[in-house]
Amino acid sequence: MSSLLGTMSIAMGALEAQQAGLQTTTNNIANLNTPGYTRERPVLQEANPILQSGIAYGTGVKLCGIESLRDSILALQINNETQQQGQSQAYVNAMSQAQTLFPDDTSGIGQAISTFFQSLNGLSTDPSNLALRQSVLSAANGMASAFNGAANQLSAQRSSLDQNVEQDAGEVNQITQQIAGVNAKLAGLSNTSEGYGSFLDQRDDLVQKLSGLIDVSVINDGTSITLTTKQGALLVADSQSFALSTALDPASGVQHVYSQGSDITGNISGGALGGTLQARDQTIPALQTQLDTLAGGLVQALNTAHAQGFDLNGKQGGNLFTPVSGAGAAASMAVAISDPTLLAASSDGSTGSNGNLANLSAVANQAVASGMTPTQAYSNLVFQAGGAVSDATSELNASNTMLQQLQQQQASVSGVSLDEEASNLLLYQRAYQAAAQAISTVDQMLQTAIQMGSGT
Amino acid sequence: MRISPYTQQIVLNALSAADQSEQTALLQLTTGKRVNVASDDPSAAAREVGISSQSGDCDQFLRSIASISAELQTADSALSSGVTALQQAISLGVEGANGTMSQQDRAALASEVQSISQQILGVANLSYNGKYVFAGTADSQPPYVAAAGGIVYQGNDSVNQVEIEAGQSIAVNQPGSQLFSAAGASVFQALSDLATTLESDSSTTDDIANATNEVRAAYDQLNSARTFYGSTLDQLNASQDFLNTEKLQLTQQSSDLVAVDINQAATNLTNAETARNAALQAAASVGNLNLFDYLTASNGH
Repeated sequence: MSSLLGTMSIAMGALEAQQAGLQTTTNNIANLNTPGYTRERPVLQEANPILQSGIAYGTGVKLCGIESLRDSILALQINNETQQQGQSQAYVNAMSQAQTLFPDDTSGIGQAISTFFQSLNGLSTDPSNLALRQSVLSAANGMASAFNGAANQLSAQRSSLDQNVEQDAGEVNQITQQIAGVNAKLAGLSNTSEGYGSFLDQRDDLVQKLSGLIDVSVINDGTSITLTTKQGALLVADSQSFALSTALDPASGVQHVYSQGSDITGNISGGALGGTLQARDQTIPALQTQLDTLAGGLVQALNTAHAQGFDLNGKQGGNLFTPVSGAGAAASMAVAISDPTLLAASSDGSTGSNGNLANLSAVANQAVASGMTPTQAYSNLVFQAGGAVSDATSELNASNTMLQQLQQQQASVSGVSLDEEASNLLLYQRAYQAAAQAISTVDQMLQTAIQMGSGT
Repeated sequence: MRISPYTQQIVLNALSAADQSEQTALLQLTTGKRVNVASDDPSAAAREVGISSQSGDCDQFLRSIASISAELQTADSALSSGVTALQQAISLGVEGANGTMSQQDRAALASEVQSISQQILGVANLSYNGKYVFAGTADSQPPYVAAAGGIVYQGNDSVNQVEIEAGQSIAVNQPGSQLFSAAGASVFQALSDLATTLESDSSTTDDIANATNEVRAAYDQLNSARTFYGSTLDQLNASQDFLNTEKLQLTQQSSDLVAVDINQAATNLTNAETARNAALQAAASVGNLNLFDYLTASNGH
C-alpha cells in the first residue's frame, strides 16, 4: 500500500527529471553553433520499485546523468583524415611555390638555356662580330643568373619552411599542454558529472586540431587519454604533456624536431608538420640536387668545348664559366669572362673561323646531367615539380571530400537539430506541467486528509 | 537514420567546389591555356619545354639564314661582275691574237687587261660588315695584296659551317684560293701573263692565244666555283620554307598540349555558374523553418 507522501516524492522526482531534460535541451539549443559541441541528453531510468505485500509499486523516475552523443570510431577516422589533409595541404602550399621556379614557357632556366645556344648560332654567321660576341656573353650571363635565381629561391623557400617547422612545433606544444590540462580536469569527474561532456568536447576539438599539425595516435584509457606520434614519441600522458623542441641541425642546416632528447624529424609523417618536413627535407633537396647536377654538368661541358678553341687574339680558350660542381653549383654559376674578344669561337686561331662554336653548340645535344641533355634535364625538373604538386593536390581533394563526409556523419550523430530540440522542449514542458499537476492534486488530497483529521 | 542537421555545411562545400571550377575555367579562358602551371598537367608542361626550345631554335635559324643570305648575295653579285670582267679580258686576248694588230694597239690592250686585273682585285678583296668575304677565315685583312712576284693570296683555305636546321650545317664561304688563285687557274697570274704577252714585242699570235687560254682556264674555274653561292642560296631558301612549316607544326603541337579548348572552358564556366546558383537557391530555401516556428504560432493563441 502506497502513501500520499510517496506519491508526492514520485512527482517531485519527475519535476526534477523533466527540469534536467529542459536544461539539456536548452543547453543544446544554446550551443547550436558552437564548434565541436556534442549534443547531450538526460539519461532517465525507472526508479527501483518497492515491494509491499507482494505488490510492486513504481517509485518514479531517476536521473542517472547527462550523456553526450559521440561516436569515438568516427572521431578516430576524422583525426586520421585530418592528419592526411593537413599533410597534403602543407605540402601543396610549399611545392606550389617551388614549382613556379620551373616554368614551361618563355621564362626561366629552360628559356635561358635555349637563348644561350641560339646566341651561339647567331654568332656562327659572323664569328668576329663584337656585338654578336657580346650577345653570347649576355645570354651566358642570363643563363647563369636564371640558375642562380632558381637555386637561391629554392633555398629561401626551404628557410621559410624551416620557420614553419618551428611555428608548428610551438603550436603542437600549446595544444598538448591544453589537452593535458583537460585530462587533469576530467580525472576528477565521473561521467555523470556536470560539465563532463563539455570537457570531452574540448578535448576532442583539441585532438583534432593537433591532428592537423602532426600524426597522432590516441590511446583511450577510460577518462584519460595518452597521445603519441604514430612512431611512438610521447606527446601527452594523463595530465602531463611532453613538449617537442627544435634545434638547428648543423649537418643539414635546418631545424630538427626533438622529443625528449631524441631526433624524430624523419619520423613525423602526418599533419602540417609532416607535409612541411616532406617538402623541406625530401622534395626540395631532390630538386636542388638535380638543378646542381645540371648546372655543374653544363658548365663542365661548355668549358671543355670552349678550351678547344681560340679567342679573337688567337689564344687558346680559357674557362667560359667559373668551374662549379656538386652542391651549390647552380647558386654559384657565373660567367668567367667579360671581354667578348676572349670568347673562343675559332677552331684554328684565325679570327673569322667559327669552328669551335659548333663544339659549344654540340653541348645542347650532349648528356650533361644524369644521361640527359640540358633541355631534357630541365624538362624533367618541370615534370617533377609539377608532378609533386599535382599528386599532392589529388590527395588533398580526396582528403577534403572524405573529411566532409565524415563530418556529416559525425554531425548526424552529434549535431544539434532544432526540430528535435523543439519537440523535446514540448515533451519536457508537458511532463513538467503534468508532474506539477500531480503535486497539486496530492496536495489537495493531503489537505483533505488533514481536514478530515481536524474535523473529528 | 538520423540526418545531419547542419545543411549549411553541405551548401558551403558545394559553393566552394563551384567557386573553384569557376576560377579554373576563368583562368583558362583569360590565359587561353589549359596548363597554366606545371601541376595542371606535368607531362604536357615537360614536353612544352622541349617544343618551346625547338620553336626558339627555328626563329634563330631563320635569323641566321637571313644574315647569311645577305652576305652570300653580295658575294655572288660581286663575283658576277668579276666573271663579266674576265670575259672582257678574254675578248681582249682574242682581239690581240689577231695578226693585223700593231704593237701599239696591243700595248693599249695590255693596259686594259691590267685595269681589268685591278677591277677583279677589288672584287676579290670585297668586304662585308668589315670582314673580307673571300679570305677564308683569315678575314680581318684583304686576302689579295700586290707583292714583288705579282698579286699573292694571304687568306686561308678554311670554310665556316653554320647550322641552319637542327643537326644540319652548311658551308657559308668559298675561300679565294678556290676562286681567284686556284692551282693552275689563277686569275691574277693569267691576267698578268696576258698583259705581259701583249706588251712584249717578241710575242707571236700563238703566244697571245696561249695566254688567252690561260685566262679562259681561270674564267672556267671562277665561274664553276661561283655556283657554290647560287646553290647555297637555293638551299637556304629551301631551309627557310622548311623552318616556317616546322614552326607552324610546333605551334600546333604546343597548342594541342597546353592550349585550352575554348568551347570546353566556356561550357565549364557556365556549368560552374549554374551549380553555384543552384547551391545558393538551395541555401536560401533550406533551413529557414524549423519546428519552433510552428510552436510559437500555436502558443500564441
